[in-house]
Amino acid sequence: MTLVAIVFFGLMLLGVPVGIVLGVAGMAGLLQLGGLNFMGMAPQRFFGGLNLFTFMAMPFFILAGEIMNRSGITERLIDFADALVGYLRGGLAHSNIVASVLFAGMTGAATSDAATFGNTLVPAMVRKGYSRPFACAVTAAGSIVGPTIPPSNLMVIYGSMMGVSIAGLFAAGIIPGLIIALLCMGVIAAFSRRLRLPKGERGPSLLHIVRSFRSSVLAIFMPVIILGGILGGIVTPTEAAAIAVLYALVVGGLVYRRITLRDLVDMLVRTARVTGVVFLIIASASILSWWMAFNQIPQAIATSFLGISHNPQVVILLILGLLLFVGMFIDINAALIILAPVLAPLTLNIGMDPVQAGVMIVLALNISLMTPPVGACLFVLSSVTGERVERISAALWPFIVVEVLALLVVAYWSDLTLFLPRLFGF
Amino acid sequence: MVQRTAWQSGLQGAVRLGGGLNRVVEWVCAALVAAMVGIVWYGVLARYILHTGETWSGEVARYVMIWAALLAVSVGVYRREHIGVELLLGRLPPRAMYALRIVIDLIGLAFFAALAVFGVGMTLSGGQQYTPLFGGVSMMVPFLSVPVAALLSLVQMAVVLIRDYLVHDDSLPAQPMGGEA
Repeated sequence: MTLVAIVFFGLMLLGVPVGIVLGVAGMAGLLQLGGLNFMGMAPQRFFGGLNLFTFMAMPFFILAGEIMNRSGITERLIDFADALVGYLRGGLAHSNIVASVLFAGMTGAATSDAATFGNTLVPAMVRKGYSRPFACAVTAAGSIVGPTIPPSNLMVIYGSMMGVSIAGLFAAGIIPGLIIALLCMGVIAAFSRRLRLPKGERGPSLLHIVRSFRSSVLAIFMPVIILGGILGGIVTPTEAAAIAVLYALVVGGLVYRRITLRDLVDMLVRTARVTGVVFLIIASASILSWWMAFNQIPQAIATSFLGISHNPQVVILLILGLLLFVGMFIDINAALIILAPVLAPLTLNIGMDPVQAGVMIVLALNISLMTPPVGACLFVLSSVTGERVERISAALWPFIVVEVLALLVVAYWSDLTLFLPRLFGF
Repeated sequence: MVQRTAWQSGLQGAVRLGGGLNRVVEWVCAALVAAMVGIVWYGVLARYILHTGETWSGEVARYVMIWAALLAVSVGVYRREHIGVELLLGRLPPRAMYALRIVIDLIGLAFFAALAVFGVGMTLSGGQQYTPLFGGVSMMVPFLSVPVAALLSLVQMAVVLIRDYLVHDDSLPAQPMGGEA
């Protein structure tokens, strides 16, 4: 066990790509278990870790997002957000958060949100007089709204692996996502005078709202169609994701007429590339996770947690602490695959609803994307905007505080988290 | 001097071959993703509109997805999109960083080699297993994705090692470290 830990942390620290670290650590564990005889498990788990129908939702949502993005929908959504809240003090910062909500139906990963908005909104905010670290902090804070409001890659992975209804998880993510957005806007409002955030140039205008709504309505309806199909129990999440691709193609190609065949090939390749990076991590993590299960490590961790306390409230706190800590250092997809089999039984043991536990685990991992030293969203924003990670984190802490607050609400107020899933009968 | 030039042009040839191979793999990936989308569309159509009760689309699409994603792993290697934690790398002096990057690539090389070797074993063992599709397709077909993808990644790992650390030529389409989005 120490060998695997040394290999894992050693390679991670050296800077070996995450997917390869997980695979090598898993193989080291197999070799130690039974020499070359056990190595046959490596490709089997590697393949088996991906062999799930529900996983297809991930490339589909990536492709749909690519198409919508290429058809210029991002600008339309940002314009609509700006029409809604842009006239406030700190208007562009508020618009950033509102745009994250509007954009949420087209993105399943916080890092892709951070990259898109880091490219578009951060420069726009800097031009209007916002400090760049603050602009980056707002974007980072808003980026976890996307994967909390469905669709969400992590929810697909968690639901597929642990046999929890993905539709239920999707439904349960909506309210927490909206709460996070409101809390972030609260932070912006609270700091807007002290930070002397610029006021919007235009006053509130109903005409602007109506016009920008009409120009972006087709994009706003995409999540409605996806969620309606899934929550209504009409189609499975995978099918809904495939329909989202069709919808995006029709909107981007036939209505907005911005997509050429050449673009389409590019987007298909990009979808494969993005999927390949995530799937290598998932597949390799599956090797490591099998080794852990074989050594009964999940049970050992659960026992040690319950040894500290049997009080559900305390156990939940321990779980959240572990997730926030691990997510700081390890890719969150990998962390989920390794930790879900550990934590899911533990949450059942203390009487948590599986859907609520899933949303809590996913949200905690997403928040950990923003925490220094190695939050992935910080690095994405830093590389896209050229701002230093340390300066972004310094501006980010009030947002992290309110998001951890939202996490605690999700963890302890089950009626709120489960309101929508119950309403839709999951 | 002559030998050195021959050596360099040999390396450059290898890098060009890697680039060509990558283009082919990218096209195959695009075709597979398109196929996956098409198959699931057909499945939705068959289930909700035609009511034909077909059962193969889900499984075929799943295997197409695995092939597409795993082949794309080698594209990620070529474009240096598989990233690690760069906490230590950024703090090292240039020469040490250069050496460490080579070590990191060699570790990747070893990983894909092991995956390829044992993946062949798994594929052969799949000869006796059959999917329920179309009266039985050998499981070798989906299993083969693992050794093929590992072998391609291995090749591209070697290509980028040469491209980024051994070749000194500006005329090559060099990829910046860390890849582009």
